[in-house]
Amino acid sequence: MIDFKGYGWVFVEGLMVTIPVALCAGVVAVALGLFGAWGKLASSTLPRGIANAYTTVVRGVPELVLILLVYYGVTTLLQDLLSTLTGADTRIDIDPFSAGVITLGTIYGAFATEVFRGAYLAVPKGQIEAAKAVGMPRTLFVRRVLLPQMWRFALPGLGNVWLVLVKATALMSVVQLPELMRMTDVAARAVRMPFTFYLGASVIYLAITIASMIAFQRAEAWANRGVRRA
Amino acid sequence: MGEANGKSAGAEALRVEDLHKSFGPLEVLKGVSLTAKVGDVIAMIGGSGSGKSTFLRCINLLETPDSGRVTVGGELIRMRQTRAGHAVPADQRQVDRLRARLGMVFQSFNLWSHMTVLENVIEAPVHVLKKPKAQAVEAAKTLLDKVGIGDKLGHYPSHLSGGQQQRAAIARALAMEPDVMLFDEPTSALDPELVGEVLRVMRQLADEGRTMIVVTHEMGFAREVASDVIFLHAGRIEEQGLPESVFGNPKSERCRQFLARLL
Repeated sequence: MIDFKGYGWVFVEGLMVTIPVALCAGVVAVALGLFGAWGKLASSTLPRGIANAYTTVVRGVPELVLILLVYYGVTTLLQDLLSTLTGADTRIDIDPFSAGVITLGTIYGAFATEVFRGAYLAVPKGQIEAAKAVGMPRTLFVRRVLLPQMWRFALPGLGNVWLVLVKATALMSVVQLPELMRMTDVAARAVRMPFTFYLGASVIYLAITIASMIAFQRAEAWANRGVRRA
Repeated sequence: MGEANGKSAGAEALRVEDLHKSFGPLEVLKGVSLTAKVGDVIAMIGGSGSGKSTFLRCINLLETPDSGRVTVGGELIRMRQTRAGHAVPADQRQVDRLRARLGMVFQSFNLWSHMTVLENVIEAPVHVLKKPKAQAVEAAKTLLDKVGIGDKLGHYPSHLSGGQQQRAAIARALAMEPDVMLFDEPTSALDPELVGEVLRVMRQLADEGRTMIVVTHEMGFAREVASDVIFLHAGRIEEQGLPESVFGNPKSERCRQFLARLL
């Protein structure tokens, strides 16, 4: 058994932050992705413009830069703005957890937007026409026909986005979020065993991604019920 | 005849007046009108590009007509003009409500592929008409027996033959107890040996007195089952009348040529 010199708990503590931050960011990303796809496919120009600007900017700037920008830049900006407006000295602090959820959710929401847009376009038009023809109102056919069929085409792409998102939580260590990478780093330095601890962290990340892949495979099998393999 | 849905024969089920529709510069419908009384079976025939499918799709507003009036069971579908000059439904809820009374059967079936046959048939009765599920299931089983696929309840559409899928799609439309059934080339996507089983079901529906508008290339069906035949050409009605007169003694030269090529 590998000896972690009594620091094995850092992995547990780190995971207790990494997993929630990834899950919350994942939910935000899916929600933003659905909104973004709706915007991109909208017939009016305003939502289309907003959605295009969103995916262009967010996908074009490195994650690390965006994390630092949100955590330090945006808070300072809001602080200065409020101080000027109210005249009083205002302090705004964003905790690293929320910063992580917002930033990672926003970044991967842009990637999810493209996944959902492609999924929408892949749903045969006749499926929607059949729903309209029986008198289903829009909200009903979106919920009962469109979304269930979109999952089929979206899940493989979303699985990809999720894996990248999980790994990107490690970047949150730069703003001192006590997630797996940050905790591992602290322990590795404390006992001067970088190889052991970083290897341990790698194995844990790998375990998360393998578990995710299995979960996505199951989800895909469920979403593809009724589809015959070609 | 004419006892379907408790309505007496002779009453007006559907009226379409002076329908126009263009796709870009191409004018597909140049003023087509039709009146169907309860129990009528109207067959619409014509070459490809004659506008017959577009006409059918305009009736339940899967395509929005540029102008003209559609009246379902005496209720006019209200339209309005956008600022850009396009016609759009004035009240989407009215459209949804009237669509529920028009059963549509598509050329490519369009069964919902993520649902079993039974789920396909009960979906709209349960979620649109808000029928209790147990009641919808009972009705669905009866209908699926009637179209001859009562043993396929739990199958997904992809596991059925084309003919079985189309019969399931007919059951799905019937489950809404529609006032009028619209058939958009229901046998055109089928292998020749599967056409008969679908036509048999449609013939049975006609015998029960259902009001049907059938866009079809099956001239035998049109001749034997239809109460009226309409020949469309280039977006206009070229010939209209009883099957024996349209098929036996067409007045229009184009209709004569069309039939000569087919028969």
